[in-house]
Amino acid sequence: MPRRPPSPEPHAGPPSEGRAGGSGLTLHGEASLRRRLIARDEQALVELIELASPWMLGLVQSILSDSDEAEEVVLEAFSAAWNAVGSLGDEHETLLPWLFRIARNRAIDRLRRRKRWRLKLARAEAMGALEATRVAPPEVNEAAQPGWHVHQSVHAALAGLPPEQGETVRLAYFHGLTHSEIAARLNIPMGTVKTRLRLAFDKLRVALAPIKDWVL
Amino acid sequence: MKAHDWYVENRSAFVARSLERSEERTFIDHLVRCEECTREVARLERDLAWLPMGVTPVAPAPGLPRRMAGKILDRPSPWRYAIPYGLAAALALLAVGIGVRGRAERARLEAQLAARDQRLGALQDTLSIVQRAQQILQAKISVNGHNGGLVILQEPVSHRWYVVVHGLPPAPSGNVYQFWFITTTGMVRSVEVRGDPEHPAIMTLGMPPVAAPVMGAALTVEPAVNRSTEPRGPMLAHVTF
Repeated sequence: MPRRPPSPEPHAGPPSEGRAGGSGLTLHGEASLRRRLIARDEQALVELIELASPWMLGLVQSILSDSDEAEEVVLEAFSAAWNAVGSLGDEHETLLPWLFRIARNRAIDRLRRRKRWRLKLARAEAMGALEATRVAPPEVNEAAQPGWHVHQSVHAALAGLPPEQGETVRLAYFHGLTHSEIAARLNIPMGTVKTRLRLAFDKLRVALAPIKDWVL
Repeated sequence: MKAHDWYVENRSAFVARSLERSEERTFIDHLVRCEECTREVARLERDLAWLPMGVTPVAPAPGLPRRMAGKILDRPSPWRYAIPYGLAAALALLAVGIGVRGRAERARLEAQLAARDQRLGALQDTLSIVQRAQQILQAKISVNGHNGGLVILQEPVSHRWYVVVHGLPPAPSGNVYQFWFITTTGMVRSVEVRGDPEHPAIMTLGMPPVAAPVMGAALTVEPAVNRSTEPRGPMLAHVTF
């Protein structure tokens, strides 16, 4: 079973044999978990955190590039979800994507509030000041990770994009950069950034449509 | 190019949150007025719901999930002691936000405040059920060598129950533990109960929406699919007043 250190980048090449373990969450399981959360079942909260936190940490860490801050944001997101899960009445809105959206929005809010601080940090990193303090994050056993099949499908959809569109999605969606930041980074006009993102999302909508369940 | 075309072109950017701050505010203002864009943005978010799972998962530090759960469940709420001050501070923040942070920030703060109020209300409400309980029903449960129990505290004012089920092993594959109300005219399906010998399942339940008086409760094992309105599986416990 392949093991490799996690990266803030979208997955660079999943093992073809990887598959979700037996502790996944089906649509039925998710509905049950949602009902228990609404009934204020505290163990359901623990189960939700155990299931979703690896993905939320990966997502938020890729945006914030800071593991401590990522843990804070993920905690905030779970707390908000625990308090507001009763308002998640629409059966079409599944629990995990809702959680991911809360976490991602909070991460981006925090990123933009702390942009000045982050620029200072980037300058310090560029000077090598922080290299010695960087700690490698723990590895995750990928194939046993609940939801791994979904990850593989999403990765395949991203890999199917033309490289320039994939890069734009990576910078916008997984790193939280704005149009102007992406344009500056790639040295292209802002209109081109918008067009690439729009075209990429049109393709991703089609490619991700079959994903309906946590475990396929 | 019509003014609306800008919003159509930037729906993807709004969902990706790659609009500049001022553009994002403009877009949010527009969503309040435009049903078409609201609908399309919601559809786009739904279609891309699983996109966040494109990242590589990061293993949480050992014990982190439990610590997070502990913080969420045990965090002392400052609102418990200072709701008026907190509310005033939040309103002041909101007022400042009108000029500075725009509608998105205001909405976020309002949601945060509402969530805190909801959490506080839920805690106080749960505590009131325990404090005002007039009857306590108990039954032993024995499943596959695991010995546990069912405890129900009945609160007569709001007619709700505080229910604890402990010592249950995980339900057999393809089955769930099902809680039922026993009424004078039959059984009424309630919630599914998680089986975990280490951690009790704790629930607050209102009375079922039926005219018949509730006489008690039961716990059975039922198939996870093809659920019927009457219990079919083995009875693990039942209690009556």
